[in-house]
Amino acid sequence: MQARKILLPEDQMPRQWYNILADIKMNPPLGPDGNPVSPDALAPVFPMNLIEQEVSPQRWIDIPEEVLNVLSIWRPSPLMRAVALEKALSTPAKIYYKNEGVSPPGSHKPNTAVPQAYYNKVFGIKKLTTETGAGQWGSALAFACSQFGLECKVFMVRISFDQKPYRKAMMEAWGGRCIPSPSTETKAGRDVLATNPDTAGSLGIAISEAIEAAVTDTSGQTRYSLGSVLNHVLLHQTIIGLEAKKQLALVGEYPDVVIGCAGGGSNFAGLSFPFVYDKLNGKQIAIHPVEPTACPTMTRGPFVYDHGDTARYTPLLPMHSLGHAFIPAPIHAGGLRYHGMAPMVSQLLTEGILEARAVHQLEAYDAGVLFARTEGTIPAPETNHAIACVVQEAKKAKEEGKEKVILFNFSGHGLLDLGAYDKYFSKQMTNFELSDEELLRAEEVFKNFPKPQMLKSR
Amino acid sequence: MDPEDSIDDGTVTRCPRLGGDVPFGYCCTCGEERLPCFKIFDCWWERFDVVGYLSSRLSPSDMDRVVQGKPRHKLTSLLDLVEQAKRRAQQ
Repeated sequence: MQARKILLPEDQMPRQWYNILADIKMNPPLGPDGNPVSPDALAPVFPMNLIEQEVSPQRWIDIPEEVLNVLSIWRPSPLMRAVALEKALSTPAKIYYKNEGVSPPGSHKPNTAVPQAYYNKVFGIKKLTTETGAGQWGSALAFACSQFGLECKVFMVRISFDQKPYRKAMMEAWGGRCIPSPSTETKAGRDVLATNPDTAGSLGIAISEAIEAAVTDTSGQTRYSLGSVLNHVLLHQTIIGLEAKKQLALVGEYPDVVIGCAGGGSNFAGLSFPFVYDKLNGKQIAIHPVEPTACPTMTRGPFVYDHGDTARYTPLLPMHSLGHAFIPAPIHAGGLRYHGMAPMVSQLLTEGILEARAVHQLEAYDAGVLFARTEGTIPAPETNHAIACVVQEAKKAKEEGKEKVILFNFSGHGLLDLGAYDKYFSKQMTNFELSDEELLRAEEVFKNFPKPQMLKSR
Repeated sequence: MDPEDSIDDGTVTRCPRLGGDVPFGYCCTCGEERLPCFKIFDCWWERFDVVGYLSSRLSPSDMDRVVQGKPRHKLTSLLDLVEQAKRRAQQ
C-alpha cells in the first residue's frame, strides 16, 4: 500500500503565522484626505489587536494557545499525495495537496474566523457581524463564534439565501443568525427594500448592512469581520503553507510548483506565502494563482481603455463590440484584476513573483470530476480551477519527462455545491448564446438609463 | 417584476463573487448604484457580445464607470461604509 497521507502531529502545529508584509513593499491605502489611513480609523469595525496585526511589520506573529486549541479540532490538516490522480494522468510528477476541506465548515475559511473571533473576544466584544455570498464565510464565522461564546449575525445576499438554505441551517447549528440581505434590520437594507422590494440583493448591500449593524451598536460591543483580502486574514491563513512545508520535509520533498485558486486571495495566499518567502530568498519555484478565464484584451476596437497602469490586475477591459464572429485573443489571466483581490497578492503579481493562470469553466469541472473519481473527494467549484492547473502542469511534466513536485491547496469540498455539478453532468454547463428573446427581456434593466451617444469606430 | 428576474433560469452563470448561479439580469444591476457588476464582462463574454450590448445601453459615463472603475483598497472602502453608516444613524 502506498502512503497517501502525510500527517503532522498536533504538537508540531506551527506556533507562529508568517507575515509577508515584513518582506514586501506596499503602498499604504489612502483615506479621503489623501493621507494614509490611520489604524485608529478602523476602530469602529475591528478590535485594536486585529488592527495591530493588519499593519504589523513583524515577520513572525505568535498564534495564541487558545486559537491553537480550536484549530486543533481539524488541524494540522492532512497533506495528501494524489497517487490515483498521478496514475490517471500517467505523469512522472508527484502531486501533493493540502486538504482544507476537513474543517468543520468544509473550507479554509475558519483558519481566520477562529483567530478573529478570539481576538474580538479578548478585546471585550460580544457580537460579530459579517456578510456572506454563498455562505462559506458566514458558516466559518458562525462556527468560530460558537467556539468562543460570541453572538454572530450574518447578512447573506438574498439570491444566495434562497438558493442555499442548508448554509443558513449550518450557521444556525452553530448558534449564528443568518438574515437575507437586504433586510429590515438596518437602514441601508430598509432603504433598498423601499425602492426595490423584490431585489435579489448584492454583496455591496450586505456589506453595508453588516457594517451598519456593527457601527450603530451603542454598547460598543459589536464589531465587523471580513473573511478575505485584508492583511490579517491572509496572515492567519499562512498556517496552511507553514504546515505543508513541515509535512513535505517529513518525506524529503520541496515543491517545484505551488498552485491555488484565487478569488479574494486568502486560500491562495495561505498556501503560497510561506513559499513566496523562500522564493524571495532565492528558491526556484513557480507559484500560480488560478482564476476563471476573463474577457480578453482586444487588440483593436471602437476604443480601448488603458489605465496606463503597469500592474496587470487593474481593469483593462475592452470597449470593443465582440461580434459573434469575433475571434478572441489568447486567453489571459486578466481575471486577477478582480477588485476584491488582496493587495498583497496583486503586489506580488506586479513584481512577477507570482504568475497568474486562467482556466475555462468546463476545463475546471472536467478536472474536478477527474479528481473526485480518482482521489475520492468532491472539490468545491472554485477548487476545481486549481485542480485544472495541476492537471496542466502534470501533463507538461509528462511531456518534459520531469519528476516535478506539484503542491496545491484543496481549499474546500463541494458537498454543499452539488447543484453546479448537476448542471455540468446534465450538459447545461456549456458555452451558449443568449437568445434574442432573452436579450430583449433584459432590456427592461436599462429602461431608466440615459442612452449613450453613438460610439465612433476609430 | 424586477428586471433582475427578467431573464429565465436557463441563462445563469456562476458568480465568482457569490459562489452561486445568477441570471444575466442580476449582473446588470448588482454593482454600485445598481450599475452592472465590474465582473460582468469576464463572466459573460463567452456567451454573447456583452460589451456591445452594454455599450449600446449605458451612457458613456456609466459604461466608463463599469469598465474603468479602479479597484479601491478594501480598507478605504470599509471606512467609507463606516461613514455612510454613521450618517444613516444620524438621520
